[in-house]
Amino acid sequence: MFTVVLQGLLQRKVRLVTTALAVILGVAFTAGTLVLTDTMSKIFNDLSAGVYKGTDAVVRARAVFDGPMGTGKQRPLIDASLVPALSRVPGVAAAEGNAFGYTRLIGRDGTAIGNPAGGAPTLGGNWSTVSALNPFRLVAGHAPQAPDEVVIDKQSANLGHLAVGDTTTVLVNGPPQRVRISGIAAFGTADSPAGASVVLFTTPAAQRLVTAPGKFSTISFVADPGVSQQQLAGNLRRVLPPGTEAVTGATVIKETQDQFQKFLSIFSKFLLIFAVVALVVGAFIILNTFAITVAQKTRENGLLRALGASRRQVLASVLIEAVAVGIIAALLGLAAGVAVAAGLKALLGVLGFGLPAGSLVLSAQTVTISLLAGVGVTVVAAVSPARKAAKVPPVAAMQEAAVGSTGYGSKQRAVVGITILVLGVAALFTGLFGHVGSAFLIVGAGVLLVFLGVTVLGRTVSLPLSRTIGTPLPRIKGVTGTLAQENTMRNPKRTAASASALMIGVGLVGFITILASSTTASINATIDRSFTGDFVIDSGAGMAGGVDPALAQRLNALPQVAAATGERFGAAVILGKVEGFTAVDPGTAGKIFNVSPLQGSISALGANDIAVYKNVASDNHLKLGDTVPVVFRDTGARTLRVALIYGDSQAAPSPRYFIGTPAYDANFFAPHYDTMVFVKKAPGVTSAAALAAVKKLTAQYAVGASVLDQAAYKAEQTKPVNQLLALVYTLLALAIVIALLGIGNTLALSIFERTRELGVMRAVGMTRSQLRSTIRWESVIIALQGTFLGLVVGVFFGWALVLAQRNQGITVFSVPYVRLLIVIVLAGLAGVVAAILPSRRAAKLNILQAIVTE
Amino acid sequence: MADVVTPPTARLEQKTAARTEDAVKIYGKGQTEVRALDGVSVEFAAGRYTAIMGPSGSGKSTLLHCVAGLDSLTSGRAFIGEVDLSTLTDQRLTILRRDRVGFVFQAFNLVPTISAAKNITLPLLLAGRKGDQAWIDKVIDITGIGDRLEHRPSELSGGQQQRVAVARALASRPEIIFADEPTGNLDSRAGTEVLTFMRRAVDEMHQTIVMVTHDPTAASYADRIVFLADGRIVDEMREPTAERVLERLKRFGE
Repeated sequence: MFTVVLQGLLQRKVRLVTTALAVILGVAFTAGTLVLTDTMSKIFNDLSAGVYKGTDAVVRARAVFDGPMGTGKQRPLIDASLVPALSRVPGVAAAEGNAFGYTRLIGRDGTAIGNPAGGAPTLGGNWSTVSALNPFRLVAGHAPQAPDEVVIDKQSANLGHLAVGDTTTVLVNGPPQRVRISGIAAFGTADSPAGASVVLFTTPAAQRLVTAPGKFSTISFVADPGVSQQQLAGNLRRVLPPGTEAVTGATVIKETQDQFQKFLSIFSKFLLIFAVVALVVGAFIILNTFAITVAQKTRENGLLRALGASRRQVLASVLIEAVAVGIIAALLGLAAGVAVAAGLKALLGVLGFGLPAGSLVLSAQTVTISLLAGVGVTVVAAVSPARKAAKVPPVAAMQEAAVGSTGYGSKQRAVVGITILVLGVAALFTGLFGHVGSAFLIVGAGVLLVFLGVTVLGRTVSLPLSRTIGTPLPRIKGVTGTLAQENTMRNPKRTAASASALMIGVGLVGFITILASSTTASINATIDRSFTGDFVIDSGAGMAGGVDPALAQRLNALPQVAAATGERFGAAVILGKVEGFTAVDPGTAGKIFNVSPLQGSISALGANDIAVYKNVASDNHLKLGDTVPVVFRDTGARTLRVALIYGDSQAAPSPRYFIGTPAYDANFFAPHYDTMVFVKKAPGVTSAAALAAVKKLTAQYAVGASVLDQAAYKAEQTKPVNQLLALVYTLLALAIVIALLGIGNTLALSIFERTRELGVMRAVGMTRSQLRSTIRWESVIIALQGTFLGLVVGVFFGWALVLAQRNQGITVFSVPYVRLLIVIVLAGLAGVVAAILPSRRAAKLNILQAIVTE
Repeated sequence: MADVVTPPTARLEQKTAARTEDAVKIYGKGQTEVRALDGVSVEFAAGRYTAIMGPSGSGKSTLLHCVAGLDSLTSGRAFIGEVDLSTLTDQRLTILRRDRVGFVFQAFNLVPTISAAKNITLPLLLAGRKGDQAWIDKVIDITGIGDRLEHRPSELSGGQQQRVAVARALASRPEIIFADEPTGNLDSRAGTEVLTFMRRAVDEMHQTIVMVTHDPTAASYADRIVFLADGRIVDEMREPTAERVLERLKRFGE
């Protein structure tokens, strides 16, 4: 039995390849993601082990709380006076304070280097004078000696065209500083630590410019020979003041690696979602291909049965074929995945997440998962066709094969489909609106069920859909159009299965398009409604840093400016929950933000005050004047008074809470940065005049920051949405390509079945181009059918998610008709492309052989 | 109606609708070489019903395919009217088949997805022409399936399907119709219906038919029979009857 199957397989090599391609692509995506994450993980683990290679212990402040949005443990700075005190602890060979934080280097052309808002960080620190503690290696020049001397990393030197001896500017805490490059350093074998841009000062300069005078971020220790890391940390713990802790170098390495793993696992989960989509779409293709080949082999299977093969053996023959296809596809996919990982690694380098050199990591786990996924998907998809093959009676060998028996959707089937659909929608809504645990999984299951339900129903709606979509064809293309339309209707089961694969890809495209468009529309609407100012100065540092708060003060002094306020990010534990919020200038923010105050006012926000959104206030039974317990990183437990309850969470500087700069200055020690500065021009001043004045001042205080008007600000705010959209489109493209392969495959198999019919049509005068046109339009109808179903599902998903996110800032449901129309047109064109090979083959058909076959 | 079905000219009767000159068709190479046609020169007169007969492997189907433009000759020439088929590209050959030739095959003549009516006019539809409606009406009238025109082929009996196939061959008013065992898959009653229909097409509508068959009864409907054996023409018979044909065929066995 086994050899019969394998020989059959080898005879159909081409079919094998096209079938397997669907699985190959899905497995390649999976394997690529796994290899890439393993590789990045290994590179980063080596990197962090290298950084702390000579560090035996670290003293730091205890974490007050875990920051929001993965910003890590929040620790205050520690006193520099601890360094000399701790140097005398037994077992300490050397101790050195580390001062590090946000800094940004300006290149030779005056633009800031790096993209801290979205890429690798830009950091400043002190050049370590203890060689065991210094992971950097000078490649040119010397260590910083004067307060205005810095060492920069080699990557930044290359990007900024800076050389030893050059003078440039760095953005730091306070006004921009002029510095001289005294040296350029490499980071082990890499030009920079994981793509970060680094500026290293002398220790006093770093304290003054990056952290705060008399303060360090952490203190690193080298142990005496013969003293273990644990012993050293233990000795340090005995003398440490309260609020600080000592950990071993190994612990720091592990913490750093774990944090990166967390980030990496989010990244790999994100990519794996698309790999799963590709595999699910691939499963449809496999199912369809096997179903068609099994139908075509009805006679052959009948013969096997007549010759004495049992049902079980026929079933096994199909499944063995599936296993063989699965193994071959999984192995090829694995190989392709390694190539994909190499490509993605290079791509990340281009995008500015430069990775140090390191070979790709192919783990046993990757191999196992890839093989299981490839073989599993293929075999599962082949089960139903295999069972059909086993049902073929021996007498089928003698009968004219009723190839491609048309399966119209039965009522029973429609009921099953509707049931699955309803369950899926229920799961979706439960996950989105039900405030339940593991909502993500429930939503995922709901999405899967909806797709499955639509697939099951697809067979029922396929016939009317084909008819409707094909309606204009006979008029446009005459009899070839009629034939194309009829061909999609002759086997609705097959048409529906082909279309379903595309439906999934297009459904997700439609969903993400609507989500992106709604998000963009919401951001624009919020800015329109809330931001009554004229200009925004964007530091480009994201939440990592910003511009000197002095800029906002100086802007307020300009005659062309009516009001200006900086906006700073902060985090604290409010009412027992970690919250991220912003601080604005109470003196001016009221003129720029329209927060719909219900009680109190922005100008009332003093050093002990907080503004609360009305829903947060009512949930916590807070009234104006009530006190709120807050734990700050730097000042610990404090009590703030509610001085403002506001009604528009989106228009406010931050949605749930915000504070005034006096409260910020009182509770957050230096460094202070304004991430954004909002400006409203004075009445009677032209925009151009005001802009010129604002730009001039900005150029002095915040080199490299951009001054945006409202339109540009909107564009800036919506840019990440469009970038993400582009990324998701790219990732979904794979699923679409697989679906198109499926359509091509189905067409090729159908053409094989219709050989005789095609022969007759060619004999009675159908030209080759007419034949190609018929198949092309058949393909277009299938593609459009999948697209139509996909868009219906996608618009529904988009609508549901936007509805669920109403309180999270997506307030507008926007259907981008033009973009969706483009999707439809592209799908039609894709149908044309999918038909190229099958139609060519059909046109080359030898008429005579077609007619006289058997 | 009468003037519509009048033959274009009386002299057409004497004209040749198709012919071959020293037609040779070789399949395979070397050891496996088979000479399916070994120098066949034959003429098919316009307005006549010609049958080609011969034992299995005599080359009768090959001759039909080659003169109909479905297959090409190894050497020699085949003509439809005065057109040398070997000089045509696939595109021109296709158009010639569509516009000037009709076909009836043994089975699977019809496109299953379209109605009988559409099948009948398929060559016209492919050419993007309306055709001669009066002529088509006449054809359908003789077919005797006027009430089943909107049915799909699968809803027709075998005999009805073949009559639709003959009607399709007639619809574009071709210069010549080639039929390859048109009754091979039919029972005798249905076969008689189809044969009668073809005979009427020649007698009443002045069509030209060349038919390959191995059935003496079917062949007896023809005006003339050409006998083939081993790729050569070995005999001819005019005004045949089933008995005479049977008699002649018996001699092939000797």
